[in-house]
Amino acid sequence: MNFFEIVAQLAQGLVSTVVVTLVCSGTGMAVGLTVAGLRRMGYAHLVPFLDGFTYIFRGVPVLVLLFLVYFGLPSVGIKVGPLLAMALSLGLIAGAYLAEVFRGALDSVEASEILAAEAMGMGRLQILTSIEFPQMLRLAVPGMINEFTSILKYSPFAYTVGIAEITKQAMTLTATTLRGIEIYLAVGVLYFLIYRILLAGVHFLEKRYQVPGLGTS
Amino acid sequence: MALIQIRNLVKRFGTHTVLDGVNLNLQKGEMKVVMGPSGCGKSTLLRCINRLVEPTSGTILVRDQDIMGPGVDVRALRQSIGFVFQQFALYRHLTVLGNVMLGLRKLRGMSRAEAEAQALFQLNHLEMADHRDKYPSQISGGQKQRVAIARALAMDPAVVVFDEPTSALDPVMVREVAELFNRLNREGVTLLCVTHDLALASQIANRVIFLDQGVIRADDTLENLAKHHPNDQVRAFFGQNKGQS
Repeated sequence: MNFFEIVAQLAQGLVSTVVVTLVCSGTGMAVGLTVAGLRRMGYAHLVPFLDGFTYIFRGVPVLVLLFLVYFGLPSVGIKVGPLLAMALSLGLIAGAYLAEVFRGALDSVEASEILAAEAMGMGRLQILTSIEFPQMLRLAVPGMINEFTSILKYSPFAYTVGIAEITKQAMTLTATTLRGIEIYLAVGVLYFLIYRILLAGVHFLEKRYQVPGLGTS
Repeated sequence: MALIQIRNLVKRFGTHTVLDGVNLNLQKGEMKVVMGPSGCGKSTLLRCINRLVEPTSGTILVRDQDIMGPGVDVRALRQSIGFVFQQFALYRHLTVLGNVMLGLRKLRGMSRAEAEAQALFQLNHLEMADHRDKYPSQISGGQKQRVAIARALAMDPAVVVFDEPTSALDPVMVREVAELFNRLNREGVTLLCVTHDLALASQIANRVIFLDQGVIRADDTLENLAKHHPNDQVRAFFGQNKGQS
């Protein structure tokens, strides 16, 4: 079995890795936008809960939360599938980090523009979705790339709950061939390629929605 | 009946009184100028009119409706008052056309085609249609102001208020701004402008209101204010200001 055959074998787990990464990224985005948006809406009574969420979920290890969800919840009668368990652990932790990234970017939205929108008669939610989020997402690109990369790099934890992603394939292959160096080198190459494709995708979107005078470019 | 009637308007921030019993009428089709030194309460006065700032006491009637009364739709009130800010406050992520279309789409519920037609009409009116696809960072201060005016006019407001319209512009732009204001006023637009720019005031209004420390101290022609007003402070403001302009 040469190096390329090893890569081909490992690629069988590629789809699972990509699915886990996309599901957790999507969950993280949804949670991050919701938390940052609710905080921005000025619901004072919600702020302690939002703060508590980001405080706790940023401090809990992914693997501990994953095991808590996947192996712990069934003991109280809640059975969670492997992919949902990843979304509820890695996805929520990513959401907590992204909420902080978004909070920082939202602070960069000009107060005068928000005031102008209020003066025009727009409601708080309209201002959030039409003015603040569109600007914030452009400003938050570097932080988002960091978080998506972290999600990709934490995705191997999926093998612990039975998802046959790349690392799981590598372990199986190493057990049968004992060629750990080539196999894990190939795993590294695959992750690097996924990372570069992810990065290219984000940069494409960044360029597509780039606005002169706004953002990081 | 005046379009806007302000009676005994008081605004306090904590113990600091910014507006202390202001009375003012603005007739339909009128162009009124309020002048005064920095910190005299000009901007607060404007912001009380559309309740961006909540007055402490007093009455403001807009089209005979008490805007502080119960059940007032504040968002509808704001839509009836076009506001052009000192720094213009264009939305940085939207093009010139997008800036003018936003309110029409979100607040008037127009289709994209309708909003675009209405926005282009206003941009044409203000000679900005050629810049429709540019972003705010790609146009000059004077052009930004025109877009901000087009954005306000597109909503068909009862009055357009201007907060220090020349302070963010090159001094040579004052004449251009004055010509634009005069043109809009001739076309029937009601304008309320607060400024400390005497050069602008002298080109757009015969009479000005002088606001100082939250109180209207005078309502007269510029010449009378500079030469004949009994209050030294008023004469000093207009005399000194005139010397600078």
